[in-house]
Amino acid sequence: MAVDVRRGAPAPATTPAAAPAGAPAGPRRRRATWVYLVLAVGLVVMLAPFLWMVLGSFKPEAELQRVPPTWWPETPSLGNYRQLFDRLDFPRFFANSVLVAVAVTAGNLVFCSMVGYALAKLDFAGKRLLFGLVLAMLMVPGVVTFVPLFVLVSNLGLVNTYPGLILPFLVTPLGVFLMRQFISGLPDELIEAARIDGAGEWRIFSRVIVPLCGPALATLSILTFLSSWNNFLWPLVVAQSEDKYTLPVALALYSIGQNATRYGLLLAGSVVVILPVIALFVALQRYFVQGIATTGIK
Amino acid sequence: MAAVPAPAREGGGTRSGSAAVRRRHTLAAWMFALPFMVLFLVFMAGPVLASLTMSFTDLTSRDLRDPLAVNLVGLENYTKLLSDERFLRSAFNTAYFVVVGIPLTMGLALAVAVALNSGIDRFRTFFRVGFYTPVVTSIVAVAVVWRFLLQPDSGLLNTVLGWVGIDGPNWLQSTTWAMPSLIAMAAWRNLGTLMVIFLAGLQTIPRDLHEQAMVDGAGAWRRFRSITLPLLRPTLLFGAVLTGVGYLQFFEEPFVMTKGGPLDHTLSTAFFTYNQFGFGNYSYAAAASYLLFLAIVVLTLVQFRLLRSRT
Amino acid sequence: MTARRTIGAMLLVAALALAGCGRDEGGGDGAAEQSSAIAEGPATGEITVWAMGTEGELLPKLATEFQKENPDATVKVTAVPWDGAHDKIATAIAGRQTPDVSLIGTTWMGEFAGGGGLDPVPADLLNAGDFFEGPWNTVVVDGTPYGVPWYTETRVLYYRKDLAAKAGVQAPTTWDELKTFAKALQETGGATHGIYLQPADPGTWQTLAPFVWQAGGNMVNDPANPTEYTFDTEQWREALEFQKTFYDDKLSQATPLQPGEIESKFAKGDLGSFFSGPWHVGLVKDQGVTDDQLGLAVMPRDQTGTSFVGGGNLAVFKDAKNRDGAWKFVQWLSRPEVQQRWYDTSKDLPAAKAAWEGGTLASDPNLEVFSQQLQDAKAPPAVATWEQVASIVDGEAEKVFKGASSAADATKAIQSQAASIGLGN
Repeated sequence: MAVDVRRGAPAPATTPAAAPAGAPAGPRRRRATWVYLVLAVGLVVMLAPFLWMVLGSFKPEAELQRVPPTWWPETPSLGNYRQLFDRLDFPRFFANSVLVAVAVTAGNLVFCSMVGYALAKLDFAGKRLLFGLVLAMLMVPGVVTFVPLFVLVSNLGLVNTYPGLILPFLVTPLGVFLMRQFISGLPDELIEAARIDGAGEWRIFSRVIVPLCGPALATLSILTFLSSWNNFLWPLVVAQSEDKYTLPVALALYSIGQNATRYGLLLAGSVVVILPVIALFVALQRYFVQGIATTGIK
Repeated sequence: MAAVPAPAREGGGTRSGSAAVRRRHTLAAWMFALPFMVLFLVFMAGPVLASLTMSFTDLTSRDLRDPLAVNLVGLENYTKLLSDERFLRSAFNTAYFVVVGIPLTMGLALAVAVALNSGIDRFRTFFRVGFYTPVVTSIVAVAVVWRFLLQPDSGLLNTVLGWVGIDGPNWLQSTTWAMPSLIAMAAWRNLGTLMVIFLAGLQTIPRDLHEQAMVDGAGAWRRFRSITLPLLRPTLLFGAVLTGVGYLQFFEEPFVMTKGGPLDHTLSTAFFTYNQFGFGNYSYAAAASYLLFLAIVVLTLVQFRLLRSRT
Repeated sequence: MTARRTIGAMLLVAALALAGCGRDEGGGDGAAEQSSAIAEGPATGEITVWAMGTEGELLPKLATEFQKENPDATVKVTAVPWDGAHDKIATAIAGRQTPDVSLIGTTWMGEFAGGGGLDPVPADLLNAGDFFEGPWNTVVVDGTPYGVPWYTETRVLYYRKDLAAKAGVQAPTTWDELKTFAKALQETGGATHGIYLQPADPGTWQTLAPFVWQAGGNMVNDPANPTEYTFDTEQWREALEFQKTFYDDKLSQATPLQPGEIESKFAKGDLGSFFSGPWHVGLVKDQGVTDDQLGLAVMPRDQTGTSFVGGGNLAVFKDAKNRDGAWKFVQWLSRPEVQQRWYDTSKDLPAAKAAWEGGTLASDPNLEVFSQQLQDAKAPPAVATWEQVASIVDGEAEKVFKGASSAADATKAIQSQAASIGLGN
């Protein structure tokens, strides 16, 4: 039902637009070339630090500390990666990070879309208060609730537990806001049609709304996963024993010293840490491309 | 959605029917919201109330083991902040950052999103991933490369400027240029996230609207202004709020690049607050955070007004 | 309507809760806290320890020896990153989720002890005289020791021996000689800058403080029992002006260097000298500096040749579950032979004086310089508000060095702000 109308040229059969689309081929191609060029330059600027990071992870410590920084490793070595996997109990920390990030992302996908749907499409008592609360929470600087939250979590007996790592982030105001904005842009006719057909609220939500939310859910997944994956301070404070440390905590532990930092290890660790995020991003790419069933309305 | 008639939500029908429908909706809505409400009340509302209360006391880190044995000082923390030179400086810096940074980042991200969406056909995934990488690159790597770029004598930027005869300043150590440098760095870094959000929003704009307009002879820029922008409003609002909330709390760039210098010219309010928490002045820092919160509320209201969906 | 009523109810509850608040102003008799002695005999039970960074990684090795001597005890070490360690300890104290023992940075003692989170050292556990004076003073808060120095570090002058030889100068022993030394390294030795003195960014005060102490000044009136800050003094102005001349005469650059730049420039010969602690020996050698090039010297003298001392202390928490075991472990770690073994494992310099009398610590010529400097090294006052005041010193000093303020105005500004912040006790 979600027709992908974006592939290349517009679908020839449907509209008389086929003719004009073909006509200004010359200026269009020239413009496209310019766009490619500008984007390519932009891309180089964007990717430079990432490239430096990857290249740097193969350099020995001494070369990394050198100023001005070098690009290609003069004496490339796998030493940093070997150190990373030997000194750190990598599988354990990786597993912890995955567990927490996946749980948080899953929770957000489900709960945020539920509340987002209610705020966007249902008219109910207390709606404005709820939306106001969500926005208010979004705007409170996170740092201020840190200590009270820890005291609360420790009073609940959740210190050094997985629930302690996961629960405070299981639903975020940002996620609710995102889903609400996206769903409010979906056409009401679809919902009306389903209601007329006698569908209950949950059915409408799960069968009509959710399938249309591909792009928003993909965006939410990436934003939530990334923020949970890179979260440093909370896991640091909640974990009392090393077996609950997540990757960012472990990486900081082994590379940042009291007076000096082991940059080689830090870079190698940073490369390994962002690989899952990039993989997730690439995997979710097609959801940004998914079109919406506008034809269903006509 | 411009094409949709507005009162679809009321459910239509007779008077009694709409009251019953509303009740049914209310029940359903609160059921949908239940998991959120539970988690919200426990993990968010509680700590917020506690920290807000804390800002009206003189609590420091030394009182943490016995938090109720503190004095209530009312608005004293707030008034102290408003006469604290460093805080006021940080407020100015933050405002500067936000006023310039938000339009810059949103503009660039929108341009990239539109270009990736309809300007080019191939290598889309490659470009998308590429533009998103700064968001996930470790701040250590980012700092090294940007510092190399901005080095006064041997840095890339000044070398290039030298080719056209401009003697570039010591970017990060200049009281005039440190902030613009950080704004550029932040825009560079956060472009990717906004691009992703705008791309998702662009997907909801039906292709045939554009095709129809092209048949009517509208050029690319006209179509962008009359079709894309209006339909993208909810997404733009979301992006603006997200960026606004983030930028008002900007911290990492000055922390890593300039440590708030030179002479406090890149000290942000979040950095100031972080320092205060570090010193153990918890109630003072909480008050600063809530002043920041007020600023965020004001900015968000302004954004809602400007970018509200006109349906 | 319901919304308003709910908010009203919440406010009422909050108000009632707040009504119970109030600081007990009359409390605290001012006398030093007494700590009961610990039980005799070997340690028993589980002892939980937090240690940061490399220390956290390496301590378990040493702990197995403790466990051999105390077979009924197990030591569980959790390694904690330095980055965020201060926050972690502070929140642990708040949530009453502390371990038994922790490594604590020397400048954190005042804050954690001041809040009652730390257990005072039991009487007769250790002798203050066993440790260097500088490190010992970092554990004394309001006249009571709240921890035990574990390892220490102090700052000395690193200089390019070969460039100095080329310029025909010896390591400086007085303030005037420091200036001519830097000048010579630059003009004849070939360095771009003869010396680096940190001009801005957090930690600027650590370069300035030794000059203040050398001039005979201090941050507080009586370090053992401080009652007020003393920044508005002749010595502070002297130190600020002395350091400023280095920037004015272009002997040191006036913008801060990044980590990595110091050793890099030093190795290339662009930087003639700088002040730092023992960790820099390894860092400069990594950049290729040879033993012929590396020279170390103690601080130059004005009235004295005092340097800055830092390091790590061990403290037992008030909420510790195994207090006796914890203190026994700390006591064991302070034994000279254990401190020596710790040096061999971690290269951390021991805080116990007797540990320096044997092994590499006694024979290595580079370490000789540090050992000498440790005889005359001071630490900032162990008061709860020091970090905040230090940040003010950083800011005002930067203004002086950049010419945006005079030394007299700066010291007055620091003093008035420090006085309004207070000592935090």
